[in-house]
Amino acid sequence: MTFAKLLVTAVFLSAMTIPGLTHGGARHGNSNEVSGPADSYVYRLAEPGTYQLPAIKPAAGGMVLDERSRPRELKYLFRGHLTILAFIYTRCGDLCPLATMRMAQLKDQAVRSAVRDLRLITMSFDPDYDTPERMAEFAETWRGAEAGPGSSWLFLTAPNRQAVEPLLSAYGQPLAPRADQDGSGSISHLMRVFLIDDHGLVRNIYSPDFLDPRLLLNDLLTLELERSKSGS
Amino acid sequence: MTTGHSALHSRCFTAAHLRTATAVVLLMGMTMPAIADEPCQSPYMAKITGEEEFVYVWTLGVKGLGDGSDKLVTIDVRKNSSTFGRVVNTDSVGGQHEAHHGGFTDDRRQYWLAGLDTSKIFIFDVATDPGNPRLIKTIDDFVEKSGGVVGPHGAYALPGRMLISGLSNKDKSGRTALVEYTNDGDYVATHWMPTKDDPQGAENGEKADGYGYDARVLPRRNVMLSSSFTGWNNYMRPIGELVNDADAMKAFGSTMVLWDFHARRPRQVFEVPGAPLEVRWAWGENHNYAFTTTALTSKIWLVSEDTAGKWTARPVGDVGDPTKLPLPVDLSLSADDSTLFVDSFMDGMTRIYDVSNPQKPRQIYEKKIGGQLNMVSQSWDGKRLYYTSSLLANWDKTGESSEQFLKAYSWDGKQLSERFSIDFTKEGLGRPHIMNFGSSALYAN
Repeated sequence: MTFAKLLVTAVFLSAMTIPGLTHGGARHGNSNEVSGPADSYVYRLAEPGTYQLPAIKPAAGGMVLDERSRPRELKYLFRGHLTILAFIYTRCGDLCPLATMRMAQLKDQAVRSAVRDLRLITMSFDPDYDTPERMAEFAETWRGAEAGPGSSWLFLTAPNRQAVEPLLSAYGQPLAPRADQDGSGSISHLMRVFLIDDHGLVRNIYSPDFLDPRLLLNDLLTLELERSKSGS
Repeated sequence: MTTGHSALHSRCFTAAHLRTATAVVLLMGMTMPAIADEPCQSPYMAKITGEEEFVYVWTLGVKGLGDGSDKLVTIDVRKNSSTFGRVVNTDSVGGQHEAHHGGFTDDRRQYWLAGLDTSKIFIFDVATDPGNPRLIKTIDDFVEKSGGVVGPHGAYALPGRMLISGLSNKDKSGRTALVEYTNDGDYVATHWMPTKDDPQGAENGEKADGYGYDARVLPRRNVMLSSSFTGWNNYMRPIGELVNDADAMKAFGSTMVLWDFHARRPRQVFEVPGAPLEVRWAWGENHNYAFTTTALTSKIWLVSEDTAGKWTARPVGDVGDPTKLPLPVDLSLSADDSTLFVDSFMDGMTRIYDVSNPQKPRQIYEKKIGGQLNMVSQSWDGKRLYYTSSLLANWDKTGESSEQFLKAYSWDGKQLSERFSIDFTKEGLGRPHIMNFGSSALYAN
């Protein structure tokens, strides 16, 4: 883990200990509490291969740019891989770094598992700011020194806003009005992460609640078992 | 993060994530939006962060009244609007389908409305012009695609998908399933409710009865809770006949099922006699519990997890006088988990409970809203309440008590004060059922 990644991780861990902040700003101090922080993923999970991940829909493609500004067809990047795809923007201050951190944790765990050909894709929907150069810097923070565009974790962007809009529409990622008055360039968006199989089919869609690396790994292993059974 | 009136992802994560996000946002010198929206919605759904602008009402058509068809009625609730408190749009879907429940997709761009009789699902675009929804697709092969599920009921947002809880099957009895569709309206999967013959590995599975009604998720505990009602043979039958048929009256659900949500697999069956209907999860970050009410036994039930991780269901209070069969039908839990609104159909009453101790609900207020009463929806800040009157076409009252209305109230913590009301019969609309909120601020660009 790089220093920058450690720092961001530390920020999140410290954030989890801040008391008294709940939804709507309301305080909840009565009974029926379960020990342990709510964000620690303490729920139990089904074993890999004991449940189904029905195909949801074909994963859409489109022309994107890698960290070296080379055009890539997104669909081709799914072929032969089990892919985790997340749409983010690098100026995001909350859920995007959370999602990226979870992907980093998944990457670490997957190395020790039976998952083959895992591909992580972090795709920016803010091409005006997130240029290929910016994505390369962002990749260095999260992925470390691993080789760039040929690595198992790709950091992609689009040539321009018009190019990214069809992708956002296909993946159900609407953006809300920007609030640039504070200069942060922040964007409201619906955080979703996609599990895509080696045939290019979306097999699960995760909200931030379910970006549990254990759960993601179990889903990957479930697809891996499916691949083993089919001989692919 | 915006500071305006909409936030697409403020509603798509739990309190823990909000806490995490808030902390990080504060560290980065950013601001969080105020939040205000109906709390009894999918946690995966984008939410309105200001006041609601429109109330959408899925309305049953009545033969001889207006065009006689089921319709989506849009009511303007913008405080400064010249049409405040009035119907500004109606969208007939043609024919009578037993309009009942529905819900938004997670991006809140579509509003799905289901018909319990014909098993059709009508998908409206509410994003292009929130004050004028537009029918864009009708799913008319639900029974075939789902493998025989009849009576699509709720439409509950999951990430990129919709979860449709059924009420019946091709035999028109009560065994049913949960059915998943993509947000584009394409079928994905069917998950049948457990039965004693096919408990699917659930604890206490020998008690499973296969009925369905509502299904809602507590994401941070990876659990979904489903409830149970009755099949097409009963819910489409005139109530006068039904209550005099002893065998038919036995064909009601008496269970709730706790599911492993991620695996879509039943974990545990609870015995909850008397048709437990709506499920309302608490929102507090460590509030691992949900309320329901039982229609036939008039009780408030609490389903909760203890500190050892064990889930149980138990009755924690009565709704009115159960011997008089008030028939509790809908409930709404405030966003701070402190106040529970319970509607009962027969006496037309709403009762308000202090549930700050969820194991001991304490009634603090009651009011007769009308001759009959069904749904209740509240704003996230708990200050605005909306009520509708219709239960089912063949179960609604006749005669003097057959009034059909939407009534809007404000709640100051002590009493309800009427803001406006709309007579759905006088307006030639029909029988109003479920309500959901809309706002143009969600889609502004």
